[in-house]
Amino acid sequence: MCRYCLEYGGGTKWYLNPDNYRDELYTAEIHEPTVRMLGGARKNTFEVGAMSNVDFMAPDLYYSNNLSIALEQVTAHGGQIVPLEDALKIIDLCKEPFLLTHCACRRYFGRKDVIRCMYFWPTVETALRERPWEKETKVISKEEAKEFERECDKRGFLHSIWHAGVNSDGIPPIVMCHCTATDCIPTRFRLSYGVTNGQRKGEYVAMVDPTKCKEGCKDYPVCMQRCQFGAMRYSPVDRVLYIDPQACFGCGLCRAACPHGAIELVDRLSFPSLVDNW
Amino acid sequence: MEYTHTTPRPVITVDEEACGNAILCLKCVKACLEAGPNCIGFMNTDDPPVGENAPQRLEDIPHTIIFSGMVNCNGCGKCVEACPKGALTLEMPELQVPAARVQRSDIVFCATLRDGTRIFPRD
Repeated sequence: MCRYCLEYGGGTKWYLNPDNYRDELYTAEIHEPTVRMLGGARKNTFEVGAMSNVDFMAPDLYYSNNLSIALEQVTAHGGQIVPLEDALKIIDLCKEPFLLTHCACRRYFGRKDVIRCMYFWPTVETALRERPWEKETKVISKEEAKEFERECDKRGFLHSIWHAGVNSDGIPPIVMCHCTATDCIPTRFRLSYGVTNGQRKGEYVAMVDPTKCKEGCKDYPVCMQRCQFGAMRYSPVDRVLYIDPQACFGCGLCRAACPHGAIELVDRLSFPSLVDNW
Repeated sequence: MEYTHTTPRPVITVDEEACGNAILCLKCVKACLEAGPNCIGFMNTDDPPVGENAPQRLEDIPHTIIFSGMVNCNGCGKCVEACPKGALTLEMPELQVPAARVQRSDIVFCATLRDGTRIFPRD
């Protein structure tokens, strides 16, 4: 359980608390500008504008806290990794429809259009009205959204839930992204600059059952290629794969790839040391 | 004393006049992606208009080149080579000897003040 869950979870995870999805939150003071910008014509100015400032805001790699604060409080936008089962629950909590659109990190850094960002209902209407140049956007239903999540999990895309500002009234989730650590700029900020508020670690960590793992893949651990965060270490002596809980983001992609059912996700706090590492 | 250290990294500048509307070219963006670092991107120069005058194609919006995550740049110069208009200049930082890094326990970054605030260590 992270700090967001403690303060905004109402006994569960913050993104599974129906209170954070209530209508008036999206029009409340702190959250409204982020919702308006992400939903409207200013999406590019907001998202890519924040990325373009990073080098000036984190001049010293070892003191990137300025940037962390800017991401959470000034742009009021930040994300957290979620595994598939939580992603499906989030979709259940949302109203229809969903807006499937291009991923800004990929389009505006040269990877052309990859349709992997799923925006929630408060942005759909304004996006269709104010951004007529986005011919590739699709409006999809709840069932289609769930199918899309399952497909992303199979193909090795991370699920991450993004909020529209942390304030005393709550944290309203606004978009579900499906990225990889190579393409996602906030994830790269997290990994190269250590900016925690860009992409938070998930509420879980992966654990390997060494007995099942030993009998399984032998020299070719197939889960290893799925890990985006370098948390997996293979020992050719033991013929077992180990996961570093300090590096694991709890995305669950390795679990989906394991043919022997040797990996499971456990609560982050199964390791007491991870209480402040999220 | 204000805390001013900058991690050495290359700096690329773009001559926006020579570049024009970046989205019509994007050769440097492609070159950087293919070279690996993926530090070069593009964004709109201003918010697009809403309503009747709203652009119908992405190409109708004026864009400019941006640089992000330049700590991953090794100065290969592929972007400068790729630019057909000579609009990019690459400047490498001066070579530095590794310096001892001091843990500054007297600087905290306060979430409320949103600033580096100096505190005085206890005796």
